[in-house]
Amino acid sequence: MTNRRNFLASFLAASLVPKLGWADAGSPAYLAAAREPDGGFCIFGLSGQGADVFRIPLPARGHAAAAHPHAPEAVAFARRPGTFALVIDCASGKLLHRLETPPGRHFYGHGAFLADGDLLCTTENDIETGEGRIGLWSRPEGYTRIGDIASGGVGPHELRRLPDDNLAIANGGIRTHPGRGREKLNLDTMRPNLAYVDPDRGVIDQAELAPDLHHNSIRHLAVGPDGTVAFAMQWQGDPMDVVPLLGLHRRGTPPRLAEAGLAEQLATEGYAGSVAFDQAGTLIGITCPRGARLHVFSGEGAFRNAIRRPDICGVAPAPGGFLATDGLGSIHAVGPDGLRSLTTQRRAWDNHLVRIGLSI
Amino acid sequence: MMIRHLALMFLLAGGPAFAGVEEAVEDHVLPRMANFAVQAGDLADAAADDCTADALRPPFQDLFDAWLGVSHLRFGPLEEGGRALSIGFWPDTRGMVGDTVARLIAEEDPVLEDPDAFAEVSIAGRGLFALERLLFEPELADYDDGDYECRLVQAIAEDLAMTSDALLSEWRTDQAPALLSAGDPGNTLYLSAREPAQVLYTALTTGLGFTAEQRLGRPLGTFERPRPERAEARRSGRPLRNVALSLEALRELARALADGPIPETEQAFAAALEQAATLDPVFAGVSDPSGRLKVEILQQRIERIQVAVTEEIGVPLGISQGFNAADGD
Repeated sequence: MTNRRNFLASFLAASLVPKLGWADAGSPAYLAAAREPDGGFCIFGLSGQGADVFRIPLPARGHAAAAHPHAPEAVAFARRPGTFALVIDCASGKLLHRLETPPGRHFYGHGAFLADGDLLCTTENDIETGEGRIGLWSRPEGYTRIGDIASGGVGPHELRRLPDDNLAIANGGIRTHPGRGREKLNLDTMRPNLAYVDPDRGVIDQAELAPDLHHNSIRHLAVGPDGTVAFAMQWQGDPMDVVPLLGLHRRGTPPRLAEAGLAEQLATEGYAGSVAFDQAGTLIGITCPRGARLHVFSGEGAFRNAIRRPDICGVAPAPGGFLATDGLGSIHAVGPDGLRSLTTQRRAWDNHLVRIGLSI
Repeated sequence: MMIRHLALMFLLAGGPAFAGVEEAVEDHVLPRMANFAVQAGDLADAAADDCTADALRPPFQDLFDAWLGVSHLRFGPLEEGGRALSIGFWPDTRGMVGDTVARLIAEEDPVLEDPDAFAEVSIAGRGLFALERLLFEPELADYDDGDYECRLVQAIAEDLAMTSDALLSEWRTDQAPALLSAGDPGNTLYLSAREPAQVLYTALTTGLGFTAEQRLGRPLGTFERPRPERAEARRSGRPLRNVALSLEALRELARALADGPIPETEQAFAAALEQAATLDPVFAGVSDPSGRLKVEILQQRIERIQVAVTEEIGVPLGISQGFNAADGD
C-alpha cells in the first residue's frame, strides 16, 4: 500500500537539503549503539579516536546500524525479532523515516547499502515459512520498499556489500518464530551457509561447512579489500566443544577455517560476536565477549594473538589495526602492541561498531 | 600497605567507592590463592618423596579442595596462557585427558624430564584431571617408584606447583594493585572504578552458573539419558564435594563484594548447601527419578542464589553481568 503523501513529503524534504554529507554530522568515523546509565539507548557518532561526535536517543535497544556511504544517514535496526528500523538524520538528530517490515516478516538486525547508497538491503524472516529474505528499499524514493529476494538460507543475520556491488549474506541457519521469542526451533537440522546474492538475479553462489559443523551458525561478516569474506560463527552445540569460530572464503574455493590453540579456543565458549578486517586488510579480528578476548588472525587464517578485555564485542577497522568497544564503556585502539584504551564512559557499548565511509 | 595506599588515593580522588572490591581481594582472593600455592607445593614435595598413588591421594584431595577456592576467579592471572585449563581441564567433552595421558605413557614421552618443556604439553595432559587418572584409575594407579607413571605424576605435580606460584605472585604484584587502583591514569587493566566490581561480580555469577549448569547439569544429562559418568572428578569421588566447596567459596566472595546485608543471598546459599548435604557423593542418584529430583532441586536453589545475588549485590552496585557476554546476537 503506497502512502503517496508521505512519499511526496519525503521527496520534498530531500530536495530541500540535497547535498548533506557526513561532514554535516561532524564527520564521525564510526557508529555504535549503547545503553546509558539511566537504562535508555542511544546511537553515537564517534571520531576516529572514539570521542563522541553526536548522540541520538533511540526508543529501544538497537542491534546494528547501517551507515549510508555519503549522506549522514544511519539506519538503526531494532533487535530481532523487531519489525521496525529507523532512518536517522545524523546531522540534525531527526527521524527521517520509520521502516516497517511487511506483514508476516521481521528484521534480523542488520542492513547494508548497495548502488552507491540508493538501495538499502535488510535481512528478514518470512515468519510462516522460515525462509530468509532480503528486503529492498529505495532511498531516492524515500526508503520505499521496492521488493524482496531470497537470502539463500534460513535466519540471515549480517549482510555486507562486496566490491562488485553484490551482497555477502550470513545465513545463520537458525529458524526462529517471533511468537516464541528467540527460541531456536531447528537446531537438529540447521544448515548455515554463506550466500552471495545479486539483488537483481538472486543467489549467485553459496558456501557451506562440513556436515559435522552444521551447528556452527554463520552470523557476522567482514569483507577484505580483495573481496575475501571473513565470517564469524556461534556454535550451537556444547560450549565446551572445540570448534573454529572464524572462516575465510573466496568464491570458487572451499571455506578455510581458522582457530587458535586449545586453551584459547575453549575460552571463547564457542561464541564470536563480531568480525572485522584491520584497515590494511591483512589481519582479521573476531571478538569473543563470553571469553573476554579478541582473537587476531592473519589474512590466511593463522592465529596471531589473543587480547583480553571483559565484554569486548564491537570491532571495526582503524588506522594501524582495529577499534574495539566493550560493555563496560570503553573504546580501545588495537594495534601490534595490543590494546590501548582511548575513552571510558558510563555506558555499555552494544554488540557492533560500524565504520562509516569505508566502501567495503 | 602499598595496596591500601593506592585504594585510599582512589577514594580521595572521588567517584563511587566499591568497598567490597578491597575486601574481596584481601579476604577472599589472596588468602585462597596462597592456600592453593601451599597445597600445590605440598603435593609436589610429597610426590618427590614418594610418588605412589597411595601416598599422593591425600595431598591430591587437599589440592583439589584448594582449587575449588579459586577456580571461579577466571580473569587476570588465571586466564593467562590457558592456566585455568592447565590446572582443571573439565568438562572434557572429547575425552582428551584420557587420550593425552595414555599417549604420554605409551610413548614414554621424555618431555617430562624438563619442567619448561612439560609446561608446553597439551593442557589436557597436565593438571588435576591428568593426575586424577594416574592416582585413581585402577589400571594406571598400580605403578611403582621408577616407572614412567611415577615420573609423570611428579612432573604434573611440579607443574602445578610452578603454575600456582606464578598465579600467587602475579596476583600479589600486579593484579591486586591493579584492581585496587582502578581508574587511575596509569592503570591499563581497569579503566574505571566500576570495573573491578564488575569483574568480580561476573566471576561470582559465572561461577554459580558453572556449578549449576556444568557440575550438576552434566551428570544430570536428560531424563532419558542420565550421565553420572560425566560428573566432575568422579574417579576421586569428588562430584558433590566440588559442588559444596564451590558454593562455599562463592558465598565468601558474595559476602565480601556486598556493601550491605544480603539476607536473601545468605538464605539461598544456606538452602542450597542444605540440599547438597542430602545428595550422594558421586551423583549416582541421577539415574533414578527420586535421586534425580534431588539434584534438580539443588540446581533450582543455585538459580535462586543467582536471583538473590542480582538483587542484593548487582543492583545496589549498579553492575550486571556483561552486557554483550550475557545478551549477544
